[in-house]
Amino acid sequence: MTLYTSRQIGLNGRHGGMIAPVIAVGGCDLHGPQSALSPAGVGAEQISSLFWWMAGGAVLIWAVVIGIALYATLARPRKKHDVQGARWLIIGGGIVFPTVVLTILLSYGLMLIPKLRSTGNVDLHVAVSGEMWWWRVRYTSPAGEPVELANEIRLPVGKRVSLSLTSPDVIHSFWVPSLSGKVDMIPGRENTLILEPTKPGTYRGVCAEYCGASHAFMAFRVVVMEPQDFEAWLTHQAQPAVSSGSPSARQGEQAFLVNGCGACHTIRGTAADGRVGPDLTHVGSRLSLGAGMLPNDAQTFARWIGHTQQIKPEVRMPSFGMLPEEQLTALATYLSGLK
Amino acid sequence: MFRLARHLLHLIVSPVLNGGRYLIAGSWKRGLALLVTLALAAVVGGLMFAWLGLASVSARSGHWPVTEWFLHMAMRNAVETRSVSVKPPLTLDDPKLILKGAGHYETGCSSCHASPGKGQSLIVQQMTPMPPVLATRIKEWTPEELFWIVKNGVKFSAMPAWLAPEREDEIWAIVAFIRKLPELSSEQYEHLALGTSASGWRQNQEAGLLKGLDDPLGPTLANCVRCHGAKGEGRGPSTIPILAGQRERYLLESLEAYANGERKSGIMQPIAAALDDQTRRELARHYASLARPEPAARVSEQTEAIQRGETIAQYGVPRQGVPSCAHCHGPRQTPRNPIYPDLSGQHADYLTLQLELFKSQKRGGTAYVHLMHSAVRRLTPEQMSDLAAYYAAQTVEASQ
Repeated sequence: MTLYTSRQIGLNGRHGGMIAPVIAVGGCDLHGPQSALSPAGVGAEQISSLFWWMAGGAVLIWAVVIGIALYATLARPRKKHDVQGARWLIIGGGIVFPTVVLTILLSYGLMLIPKLRSTGNVDLHVAVSGEMWWWRVRYTSPAGEPVELANEIRLPVGKRVSLSLTSPDVIHSFWVPSLSGKVDMIPGRENTLILEPTKPGTYRGVCAEYCGASHAFMAFRVVVMEPQDFEAWLTHQAQPAVSSGSPSARQGEQAFLVNGCGACHTIRGTAADGRVGPDLTHVGSRLSLGAGMLPNDAQTFARWIGHTQQIKPEVRMPSFGMLPEEQLTALATYLSGLK
Repeated sequence: MFRLARHLLHLIVSPVLNGGRYLIAGSWKRGLALLVTLALAAVVGGLMFAWLGLASVSARSGHWPVTEWFLHMAMRNAVETRSVSVKPPLTLDDPKLILKGAGHYETGCSSCHASPGKGQSLIVQQMTPMPPVLATRIKEWTPEELFWIVKNGVKFSAMPAWLAPEREDEIWAIVAFIRKLPELSSEQYEHLALGTSASGWRQNQEAGLLKGLDDPLGPTLANCVRCHGAKGEGRGPSTIPILAGQRERYLLESLEAYANGERKSGIMQPIAAALDDQTRRELARHYASLARPEPAARVSEQTEAIQRGETIAQYGVPRQGVPSCAHCHGPRQTPRNPIYPDLSGQHADYLTLQLELFKSQKRGGTAYVHLMHSAVRRLTPEQMSDLAAYYAAQTVEASQ
């Protein structure tokens, strides 16, 4: 399926280059955009340091256990071991030591939680809803109005952000390994995740709970920006759509409205006000198409609209391949131009 | 000569006699060999009989009584057994269902099975087996059995299978109608299946709603109006759609979809397939030009169902993944693709049926039909009837 899809849509080098090393070294790409071992947020840093401590401890314990095993199989002591001493070794090493170590780890883990989850000093609230198979993102604009976006989250570096996580359909799980641990999105519940990014950059997030046919195609980008850049970005995203106004873009806007795309999608500033699918007001400004699947350019956009079901199986959007070629091209020009 | 004949007779008879003797003598192997030989001889003989063209396939002589008994026994028992899992709809006495079946009975069934006031044609009476005059025989079958026969047809008779087996609603309409046949007078039949009396024809022709026989559309329209009404108003109460004032492109593409089998209907497919391109275009233009009748109920009446329907039509049900209807089907100010039908003022029963058929993906349609499959997938039956109530009460002016 993946092979067919990549040929269909012509994956570019950027995308392929991201997948290849992950496969090549079996997920050991420490510095990728989706790595818990290359932390860029307070939560991920703590998880990462905890991981290194545990890994080091585990290696140490492993070496000791293997050493004892080798001793037991290879050593030929002249004198018999003291039964009492061996018993204490078993009780001490098999019961007391693990209990103590695990209790310390548990206590340390529990101690981390209140600070990580504290909702005090939160600078920004973002609502994220996991839907089959994309992400609905709601900000509040600097002017205090709600702004709905999709499949991309941008955050100011060094600020504490509270994400309220929900789902209208099935259980999803929100995971940006570079920033924090994962939190489930459960229908009928609202879970909170606090993020505190520490390094500007672009990170990749995924759905970490199997949620149906296109679960693997439900990704998103998190862009951590300098606070003033973030403000400018959010102010821009809160504006209504601005089309380039070229003849092709105008034709695309017409095709969008005439064919009923607005029944599912909103483009603020036009008659399209659907609330079923992603908001497309500034879709051309996003880093990817189809929830983290494809590069965002006019050519790919046309393929996405024409072959939606082949590219992303069972997604709710029907393929619009029956539209005349020039309408597809115009639609793609219009939408990818909505920066 | 006599000796030769006796010799030949001996040649034929003696193995038989000997076979008997072997059997009696208890050599079962030889007996079995003889039986196999005889069976082979029968098969080869039968094949030779057919191959040489000696079998009678003439319809003139009918069947031997024993053949007729066997074939009917096999048929009746097969229908009884195979219709066990058939579930009839709640009511077969629904006048909507009966009216829907009537028009097609006249088109597809009456020439063989006769109709009130019109006996079986002499030509049909020369068939073997002869199709039954339904009005006299219908009580011999349960509704489930009738459904099975109409859906699947009967081999070795001229009874065809239903063209669109997925459209079980149509098959039940036929069953509902043929069960009414015994009690119908010829006037009642004419009203149901033909729709208009002789005086009505003249009136309609004078009003320019029907074309003369010399007009290319004349004979075709005379057929359409039997169900869709002289003014394209869709005879009711029934699931027959209103065609008057519908968008021309939608009408044309739907006729083409029927003709090439993309839209499923045992009633409309044969009709559309028999029309040439030119006639389809003119039909679409004709019905698009007629004025849509005023709806029976008005949106302004605002019953609860209509109110709920309006909300769904205008805004969809985002939490349920249901898009709005109005962006494609009106009423809305923005221009809409002319292949999307206008639903305002359409019969509620027709709309509900289409939504159900879309949901079960049994309707088919134009190249755009898959849009409806994903749009209605999560609609509940209540939401469907609310939507139908809303659109049925919508005036056409409001939608433009």
